[in-house]
Amino acid sequence: MKTLYVEGDTFLHRLSPRTKLVGLAALSLFLFLIHSPTVLSVSATLGGIVYASLRLGWHQSWLRLRPILLTIAIVALFTLVLNGWHDALIVITRLTALALFAAAVTATTSTGDFIDEITRLAMPLERLGLVRAADIGLSIGLVIRFVPEILGRYQAIRDAHRARGLKVRPLTLTVPLIILTLKNADEIAAAIDARGVRAQK
Amino acid sequence: MTTRDLVLAALFAAIIVALGLVPPIMLGFIPVPITAQSLGVMLAGVILGAKRGGFAVLLVLLLVAIGLPVLSGGRGGLATFASPTAGYLVGWFFAAVVTGYCSERFVDRSQSGIVQITGFFLAALLGGVVVDHALGIFYLAYVTGTGLSTAFIGDLSFVPGDVLKAMIAALAGRAVMVGYPLLPQRA
Repeated sequence: MKTLYVEGDTFLHRLSPRTKLVGLAALSLFLFLIHSPTVLSVSATLGGIVYASLRLGWHQSWLRLRPILLTIAIVALFTLVLNGWHDALIVITRLTALALFAAAVTATTSTGDFIDEITRLAMPLERLGLVRAADIGLSIGLVIRFVPEILGRYQAIRDAHRARGLKVRPLTLTVPLIILTLKNADEIAAAIDARGVRAQK
Repeated sequence: MTTRDLVLAALFAAIIVALGLVPPIMLGFIPVPITAQSLGVMLAGVILGAKRGGFAVLLVLLLVAIGLPVLSGGRGGLATFASPTAGYLVGWFFAAVVTGYCSERFVDRSQSGIVQITGFFLAALLGGVVVDHALGIFYLAYVTGTGLSTAFIGDLSFVPGDVLKAMIAALAGRAVMVGYPLLPQRA
């Protein structure tokens, strides 16, 4: 799986993941409290400048931002029809600003840095006995490890359908896929325990 | 959580991610492609129950947040949570928990097949349609300022598809329970 992180050495890359996440949270709070189209437009422009400073190139940027910008455009269009241009302008500038800053944080923070930060954030929860912080990294690793395997199984089930001249239906696809996948759980759990990855305290 | 529970949740999260990568499945009787990811969320609750199902969906949302393009169409990253439709995405977690909790309450191994399917269907309907759509509508109405009723009307066009998914989740949930029972039995 290819992450949305882009290697580089810009100012945003050098900031700590925590600073970026806290900054993004504070910014989103600020953007939702502000109702002035002027301030919001300035924020969106700033977001554009920050995003452009990552130098991803027009094509790459468009590919990354297309889905969310399309959604924002559709919602803004509906707002325009229903509530008039003033509200539509607020919606489009506020959401675009937020999307650009969030995409900039995603592009400049590696998956490993994120996992480390989440593990550190989960430490207080561990002290309360709710979760084990180290489990988060382990689970994320497991998911990434098994997605290709499940896709392989999906292809095998699809081929089995074709070999028998059957159409792929949601039921005949999901049920074998889920049972085949979950049946591995015992073996994987035994392998994890045998290696003492989650040492019992 | 035992290691086995952790692995089950992680494997299901991987299934939800994989369902976003496969081409949309066509239903036999109506020409509408089903994007299988929200079906996966209902299935997580129906098959794994509230705790493990909720954790599985939380893992998917975590993967989105840390910048992996795991949602259908290769979407991902923090910007996804800035979208006006983010309420539906965050609602997935609550959908899985509610579906799982109801499944644990409604469905028992001793019941007949049709009762089990009905129980799973109601659970998936409550979690995957009522809870998820309610959160989606609230957030959409809040972000756009168009009012709840407008957001509700816009939402209605997605309800039939999700009711259908709840039906598929119920049938698949019952089939998996017969083949490989996982749902904890409650007294």
